[in-house]
Amino acid sequence: MQTIIMVINPLTIKKFKRFKSIKRGFYSFLVILTMILASFFAELLVNNRAIAVRYDGKLFFPTYGHMLPGKTFGLSYDYETNYRQLKQKFDAEENGNWVLLPLIPYDPFENDLPEDLYPPHPPSLERQHYLGTDTSGRDIAARLIYGFRIAILFSLGLLGVTYVVGVSIGSAMGYWGGKFDLFFQRIIEIWSNVPLIYIIIIISSIVVPSFWWLIAIMALFGWMGMTWTMRTITYKEKTRDYVLSARALGASNFRIIFRHILPNTVSIIVTFIPFSVSGGITALTALDYLGFGLPPPTPSWGELLQQGWANLDAYWIVGAVILAMTITLITVTFVGEAVREAFDPKMHTIYE
Amino acid sequence: MKVENKALSPLLTVKNLKMHFPVRGGVFRRLRAKVFAVDDVSFSVPHGKTLGLVGESGCGKTTVGRCILKLYKPTAGKVVFNDRNVLSLQHEALRESRKDMQIIFQDPFESLNARHTIQEILEEPFIIHKIGNKNQRVARVRELLDRVGLPRNSLMRFPHEFSGGQRQRIGIARAIALHPKLIICDEPVSALDVSIQSQVLNLMLELQETLGLTYLFIAHDLAVVKHISDRIAVMYLGKIVEMSDADSIYEKPFHPYTRALISAIPIPDPFRKADKIVLRGDVPSPINPPPGCHFHTRCPYALDRCRVEPPGLKDAPGTSGEQHLVACIRAGEI
Repeated sequence: MQTIIMVINPLTIKKFKRFKSIKRGFYSFLVILTMILASFFAELLVNNRAIAVRYDGKLFFPTYGHMLPGKTFGLSYDYETNYRQLKQKFDAEENGNWVLLPLIPYDPFENDLPEDLYPPHPPSLERQHYLGTDTSGRDIAARLIYGFRIAILFSLGLLGVTYVVGVSIGSAMGYWGGKFDLFFQRIIEIWSNVPLIYIIIIISSIVVPSFWWLIAIMALFGWMGMTWTMRTITYKEKTRDYVLSARALGASNFRIIFRHILPNTVSIIVTFIPFSVSGGITALTALDYLGFGLPPPTPSWGELLQQGWANLDAYWIVGAVILAMTITLITVTFVGEAVREAFDPKMHTIYE
Repeated sequence: MKVENKALSPLLTVKNLKMHFPVRGGVFRRLRAKVFAVDDVSFSVPHGKTLGLVGESGCGKTTVGRCILKLYKPTAGKVVFNDRNVLSLQHEALRESRKDMQIIFQDPFESLNARHTIQEILEEPFIIHKIGNKNQRVARVRELLDRVGLPRNSLMRFPHEFSGGQRQRIGIARAIALHPKLIICDEPVSALDVSIQSQVLNLMLELQETLGLTYLFIAHDLAVVKHISDRIAVMYLGKIVEMSDADSIYEKPFHPYTRALISAIPIPDPFRKADKIVLRGDVPSPINPPPGCHFHTRCPYALDRCRVEPPGLKDAPGTSGEQHLVACIRAGEI
């Protein structure tokens, strides 16, 4: 670090102010941010473990950590406590013990199969399946929320990997130009023509794709988009006078790229992020829908969508997924539009 | 400063400098054509003096400046600085030599990194050349701000918070940070208001005196150059067409192009009748410069000889010893 006191560029502050003033985008940003943060703490919202239990004057917080066997709470079994039943028991006893259950007291992997009924069950407030259950009796709301967490993490992970690779190669192409640029241009053109979906089908027929496997495969064939943009920006930036003056001072290539060119391209990279996020979510959902994504029983929107498609009479499955996807993609797109507008260089350039 | 000791050999000598930019196209980037941006230019600048390089846009004057700094790699020619050929320097030696040669750019909006504070911009020369520790560097930066007449509280501010003239002062401060011997001034005042121009020019003259700087002053405006230069070279389409001491070029210009440029200087006298020489046509493309004298397409005095025979840069009639050089075969008669 060069400066000990970090000074935020007033232009950056201005951009944030502009972003904030674009109401639709800003509120969408708050919505999506809440959704992401909430999904990171999904265990407190959606879980078959209680948030807190008071038993014989002692408090228990079973959410994180090891499972607590039923005997802890004076039950007869050694396996994990069924907190829903415990709550009913304590409520009936009325002796000062209580159980605080999460909003949705179901685990995304848990099959809730009441007697005499075949899943999927329609939404029911009484059983606390607010969006109903899927064909195996798993709570849809729970699967949506955990599925969202996986999708957003996947998306951000993919974004990280593709941007690091794309920005590095792209800026190197733009900076050094010449034969290096020419070589990579042709490589990228060839590489872009590899049919990704077939590659994934082939790979997932050999190995069961895990989370990181999928990111690796998707990144391997998805880094090219960023290179074109970075190549063009770098070409433009490197001939600007501030870069020439750094070279005239004797700055190394490393210094010029990392201290001068990259910081000046950040605002352009940032505008791509929301669109990449929604792209990542869509891609994972599509792969899961086709059955080439994450292996079951991972909670996934694509898998739910596929179930819904197969059971259209259970309208709540398809309805819930489509609603969730619509909300997510619309908010992310609104954020993207607002970012693009707030960071528009034309808004901040003074022509003389 | 031991300027006097070396007064005899010039600080900077440019010999037969050529810069031909390739124009490439197609899938394999084949060579399609060449832009003759600088075509056989020679001059020298003595210690502590200023050479003004004048010409209209696109004549190659900026390219000359950038070739000297090795920001471009010239096609041919020699740049001798301090008795060393700059163009053959590599890596560390080149980096060392950068300390002695600096540049001030035309556009102060472009030449400062908008994402850096003034402190970061002015500290950079010291960081690159590993001079001093953090505190010493900040002290040097403060000193620089004083020297160019900027308030000390500018340190934590960003370039866009300053006016054009102030930014150009920042550019000058960065250029003098490492105590260079030569500064290439690439139209340093062209982008500024006229009222600010003189302030910046005076600052540059003052710095030249106190720091013993040598300037290569590039401009498209003869009036500005007159104020600051000891010697002036006029460029047209990649070649120097006339070079002389500042006074004599204004008093007795030989080349028709120089005359046209001088007649274009506005005279602040409303009653004086303007008898401007207006040149017809445009500057030919440097991709395909005309044969013979490059200026013949627009020259009112051109003969058939001018269209075939390239005029060399020779002593003007009535002068000797390279005091006044002109590239026109009719220099004496017109």
